[in-house]
Parts: sequence; structure tokens; C-alpha cells
Amino acid sequence: MKAAIRSSALARIFLVAGFGVALSAMPASAQKAGGSITVGLELDIPGFDVLKVGVYDTAALTASSALFDTLTYLDDNGKPQPKLALSWEPSEDFKMWTFKLRPGVKFHDGTPFNAEAFKANFDRQKDPANKCRCAFYISNVNDVQAPDELTLVYNLNDPSVNFPSLVSYASQTNAIHSPTAWKTKGDEYNRNPVGTGPYILKSWTAGDRMILEKNPDYWDKDKIYFDRITLKPLPDAQSRFASLQSGEVDLIWDDEYSADNIQKAQKDSKLTVHTYAGSGAQVYAFNTKVAPFDDIRVRQALVMALDRKKMSQAITNGLSKPASNPYGDGSWVKCKDDGALPEDLEKAKALIKDYGKPVEFKMLVTATPRGRMVGQVLQQLWKRAGANMEIEQVDQATIPPRAFMRQFQLTPWRIVDLADPDIQMYSNFKTGSPVALANYSNPELDRLLDHARTTADTNKRIDDYCAISRLINKEAIWFWTFQNTYYAISTAKLKGLPKMYSGKIDVSRAWKE
Amino acid sequence: MAFFVARRLLYLVPVLIAVSLLTFSIASLLPGDLAYTILGDQATPENVAALRRDMGLDQPIWWRYLSWLGGVLQGDFGRSFRTGQTVLQAVTERLPVSIELMLLAQLGALGIGVPLAIVCAARSGGPFDRFMTGTAFGMLSVPTFLSAILLIYFFAVELRWLPATGYVPFGEDPAANLRFMVLPALTLALAEWPSIMRVLRSDMIATLQEDYISLAKAKGLKASRILFVHALKPSSLTLVTITGINIGRLIGGAVIVETIFALPGIGRLLIGAILTRDLIILQGVVLLVGAGFVIMNFIVDMLYAVLDPRIRHGHA
Repeated sequence: MKAAIRSSALARIFLVAGFGVALSAMPASAQKAGGSITVGLELDIPGFDVLKVGVYDTAALTASSALFDTLTYLDDNGKPQPKLALSWEPSEDFKMWTFKLRPGVKFHDGTPFNAEAFKANFDRQKDPANKCRCAFYISNVNDVQAPDELTLVYNLNDPSVNFPSLVSYASQTNAIHSPTAWKTKGDEYNRNPVGTGPYILKSWTAGDRMILEKNPDYWDKDKIYFDRITLKPLPDAQSRFASLQSGEVDLIWDDEYSADNIQKAQKDSKLTVHTYAGSGAQVYAFNTKVAPFDDIRVRQALVMALDRKKMSQAITNGLSKPASNPYGDGSWVKCKDDGALPEDLEKAKALIKDYGKPVEFKMLVTATPRGRMVGQVLQQLWKRAGANMEIEQVDQATIPPRAFMRQFQLTPWRIVDLADPDIQMYSNFKTGSPVALANYSNPELDRLLDHARTTADTNKRIDDYCAISRLINKEAIWFWTFQNTYYAISTAKLKGLPKMYSGKIDVSRAWKE
Repeated sequence: MAFFVARRLLYLVPVLIAVSLLTFSIASLLPGDLAYTILGDQATPENVAALRRDMGLDQPIWWRYLSWLGGVLQGDFGRSFRTGQTVLQAVTERLPVSIELMLLAQLGALGIGVPLAIVCAARSGGPFDRFMTGTAFGMLSVPTFLSAILLIYFFAVELRWLPATGYVPFGEDPAANLRFMVLPALTLALAEWPSIMRVLRSDMIATLQEDYISLAKAKGLKASRILFVHALKPSSLTLVTITGINIGRLIGGAVIVETIFALPGIGRLLIGAILTRDLIILQGVVLLVGAGFVIMNFIVDMLYAVLDPRIRHGHA
């Protein structure tokens, strides 16, 4: 903690951003105003009222980034930049963050945006009576204060050195809604959202299309090019791609499970494939308190028996990128040595032989075609090493309660992308955390996690996170298969699409050539 | 006739109760806890318990069924916990799309199936008849999603004549609406015409062997008049039944077709409800669709009685 306090002054210089940083780094000459864009999304958008819909999915995020603003946004280097907040400053211990807000901003319904309006958003989510699905995501925030019209203070329960990055994501808890609108519209607010964003909701036909029109009073309107955005849910991957090929839509969401389309688009000069390998990974947790995973040899054997290249080929035509740590290409944590165990079938066999007893266990998988496929591939890989895995298919909604109650031997999980690894790593590996699924406790791991969250020096934090990775890999309490990679395919004429942080496709500042 | 209708209406009641019971139990037996679904992955056990209490999920299933049915009888099918929309709102928004799709598909299937059946029956055993019977048999085994993808590939991607996905309401732009509807309706029609053709063809072959047809031929009536005026109506009894049964298959097909062509109909609503575990919408939609199907079959029964008076007197 002392180290943290010493370095906090330096941190402030780095973290406090200047005024008026341009929101796009693209050359001005290339941008063309006017026209419209049609986006093919994979899901119907259920709505925007955080109390009703809870967590925004990728489809809702695309709309959310156009309708709402957040305090900050991440530039292409992953650094937080001003949006509704112009500058920010941490307290010595990083448990309090003070944001200065942009003056003169109004919601689409004319309500002024200020610290009071922001606080109303936060209080509504935090109020236990509202039973917000978002409660977990703001559990680290004690309260938000509005000492004056343009000053906002976040009081956190635990230190967070990279907090301004964490409020950049246009998710349910960071998108700012007009308090007047949700109060006057009641149940109807969910489908009639009002934000401060660059686009205003014009019309919305359930299951069909959502039409957004340029906000003429937007505070950054010179950087907004399309007059209109049309969002269409096209749930079938094949017909979504066909709609792009036939020119009905300009941009579609895609994922590596429809690898054929992505690979076809990569060869098509009229199309552009946008890829972003985020932070985080697809991960699996061993329950180290139950046999056979209470023995490190078994855990290590199963990790060494993985052949990620073969898995990738079998599941996604080779598109999935292997992961040997929980951070991923998109993270600022890069490790020279992440301590990954080698993929070595012979060694795996030897470890299982050494264990001496039959290795038999059940693994939870989601009862979806994908879940089943991944389970079957793992089953085959482990069979070669002499381990017998039985697949237990359960409903997607059953996995979290089973995991929290530790009613599993091996479970799939996910480390989602966040601008900072702290929240995920701390909750997944700190002794006693409800999400520390491996049931594993190690004072050294706890020390590293505490140090990483209270140190402002990025290089020192990287050292901590790499040491954490080495420790987890060596102990094989969790393993990682593939990085979280996101895809969108567009006509080659579409320009100005920013990085798809956490899979969010934001078209609000794009244009067509 | 009035007595016949009243008796049939009375039969409807237990069927509808059975539909509601099945719907409710299916939705209740689906894996996954509604309270967890609403509160999200990270809900605490205390929150889940409180919500379960609020929603009556801790009550026995028969109690929940009765209170749900009580609401349904008063027109309250419940409200989606995700969108805040009532089931009735959601269904009435989507119903016109599905009805239009099914009507067009049925018309398309009849448009293909009936003329082919007549021609095949008139030349039964000939090369055209053999070819079409074989084709119909082959078409029966083509799954809907495959014909949908093939139609999209040829007409939208390659030829660019018709849009691959999307929808415009009929009231807004009738021409555009029909353009969007052609491929989805054709996809469903392609799955339906073979059964129509096969049934009508064999019934017509049987009819054409009746004495009164021979008499008509002997009188020197034109072949087309014999086929369309004298033979078609008596041959279409089974066709009406098949058309009724096809409605059930069309509803099933519409779920797939609406998803592939991104039509905002009931099928999409149903799939969305399943994917998001929106049990309230799911229960409501399945109940309404089930009831709709039962009522459609009731109408078909009535039509049957109009076509053949022996039926309403219980002779056939």
C-alpha cells in the first residue's frame, strides 16, 4: 500500500486526461458525412432499462454506444479518453475517484446532464428494492456523490488504479439515461430509451428494425457522419452473411463458430473482416477440493494433454487463437514468461500413471451445440492421456449456481474483457471470493493480487499479473483454451470502425467511402 | 348444423384446458431457475430466495397453474420480465406477420399442389405423373432450412432479385412487403405442396373411376369441365383435412423460416423467449398458438361438414 501511495502523484499526471482530446484519430480528409448504415445484429434487443434487461448483450451494446454516452471511452491504445467526463483524479489510496463533467450537455428529451442526473442513474441501480441484475457489477462501488453540478465522486470499497478505463464500456451500468424519461415513462421506458448520445431513437419495430437518427444537438456532432443507423436483428448466421453479400446490410456481427463465412469474407475484396482479440479467455476451473483434482498431477496431466491447435481446427476451422494465460492479445498485460505448461501427451500419460488410480470425472458443459462439441473434443483429447471424462450437459443458467455452490468437478467459465484485469483476477483467485471456483488458497497468490490492485505503476502491475499467471499455470487450478476474439464483417467501403473492445461494435463514429 | 357446431364447441373446452396444462407444465419443467434468470448469473442466494417468494415460485405447481390460468381467463397472460411488454402486446405486434406468412405459404402450396394433382390424376400412370410423384416424394425429404438457404443463395446473393432478410409491414408499402415475403412463403410452400398434391391426386384418381364421371364422359362433356366441376369438389375432402393438419406443420416451419429470413413474427418471438428463458412470454405464446391451432382445426371440421353433409349427421 505504501508503494501505491508514493506512486499516486505520478499516477495522477498520467491518469488525468486533458481537455478536448479528439474522439477519433482518423485523418479528417477521408471522412465523409451523410448517408446511412444498416447493421445486421445476431440478437433481438430486449430493451435498455437496466432494471429490466440487466446485462447488455453484444446487440444491445451496438445500439447503446449510439444512444448513450459514458464518462470515458478507450482510444485505440486502450487508454481512457474524455467523453462525458473531461478529467479525473484519484485519491491517494485509489478508493475515491473524482470526475469533472462536460458542461452544457443535454439528454435527447432536453433534461440537462449533470452530476445529479448521473447520481440518480447510479442510485437507481444500487437501490436494493429495485433488485437490479446489474447489482454485482457495481458491488465494488460504495456510493456516488454529486458535490456540485459538474463534479462526480465515486467512493469505492476497494482500491482501483484503473477505474476511468472501467467506466468506458457502454454497458448497463455505465450508459447514462435521462432520469426524467424513466420516471415519466415507467414500464414503457425500456423500449423508449433516452440518452445524451450521438443518435436518437426514431422508431423501433420489435424483432424487425431499430432506426436511430443523428442528434442535431450532440456536443461532438462534427465527428458524427451517418444521418441514420438502422439496426436489424438477423439471427441466422447464414442469412445474415447473405444479406451482407447481397448489399442489404453494410455490417454484420459474426463469431468464430461461423468460421466459413469469416474465411470466405477474408478472400472477398468487397468485404472487410474486422477482428479484435480482446483480453480474457475461455477458461475452465478444476474443483481442487474433490478427487481426482485434489491431486496436482491429475490437473497438470489434463492441461498438458490439451492440443489447442487440434481443438481450434475441430471447433472453428482453426480460427480460435490459443491462450496460455488469462490476459489475451488485447490486454496491456504481456508476459515474457506466463508459466504455461507444455502440451505434452507423453508427460501427461506419465503423470496419470504416477497418480496410480483411474482418473474418472464429470465435466459440466452447456446443453448447446457448441458446449457439446467442446466437451466431446476435450473428452477425446483426455482419453488419449488415459483419463475418462463424462460429459454432464446442463442448461446455461444452471452453470453459475452449480459453480457458486461448488457442485462440480470441472466447469467451463469465462474471463470477460475488461479494460483492467484486476476485477476478474481478484474475484476469480482471491481466497474466499464466491467466484474463486477452484477452491484454492495460496498466500502468495493473495499477496500478488493485493499488490496488483493497489499499485499505480503499470510495469509493476504487469510483473504481478505475470507472476499470478505463472503460479496458476504451475498449480493448474484453472486452464485456458482460447482467447476471446470478436468478429464483424462489413462492406469494404465502411471506415472508421473503432476496436471492438469486449465485442462491442460501435458504428456511431463510422462513415462510408 | 347449429347443434353440430354447439357440440363441437363443447369438445373444444377440455382440449383447450389440456393445452393450457401442457403448456404450463412444459414451461415449468424446463431446466433453469426463473429467479436466477431474472437476477443474472451473479445473484446471491438471498436475492434469489426473495424473488422466488415474490413471484410465488416457492408455491406448489398446481397453485401456480391455477393462479396463472385465473389471470389468463381474465385476459392477463403476464408480462415479460425482460422487455416489460405484456404477452398480448408482444403477440398482437407479431401475429400479422405470421398470419400473412402462413396464408401466403398455404396459397403457394395450393397453387403448386392442386394444378399438379389435377394434371397428374388426369394422366395417371403417364411419364408426367410418374415424374411429379417422384419429385413430390423427394421434396418431402428436403428440410425447410436447406430450401431456405438455397433460395436465399440463388435469388438474393446470385441473382439479387429478392431480399435475403427483412420485413416491411403491408400497410406501409404493399409492394415491398410482398417482395420480402416471397422467399419465406415459397420456402414453406415447397415443404407443403407435395402432401397436397399426393392426397388430391389419389382422391381424384378414385373419383375419376366413379360411374357418374363415366356418364359425364359418355355425354361428351369437356375434359376440363369434368375435372374441375365434377371431380374436384368430391375429391377435396381429404385435402381440407390435410390443409388443417398442415397449419400445425406451418407453425413449426414458421419458427425456422422466420428465424432464417429475420421476419418479426410469432416464431421469432418463441425462439427469443426460449433462448432468453423468458418463461412468461413462452407460456403465453405457446398457449395462444396452441389454442389458435385447436380453433383452426375446429373451423376445418366445420368446413368438412359443409363439403359433405353426411358428416354433420354423423353418418361418415
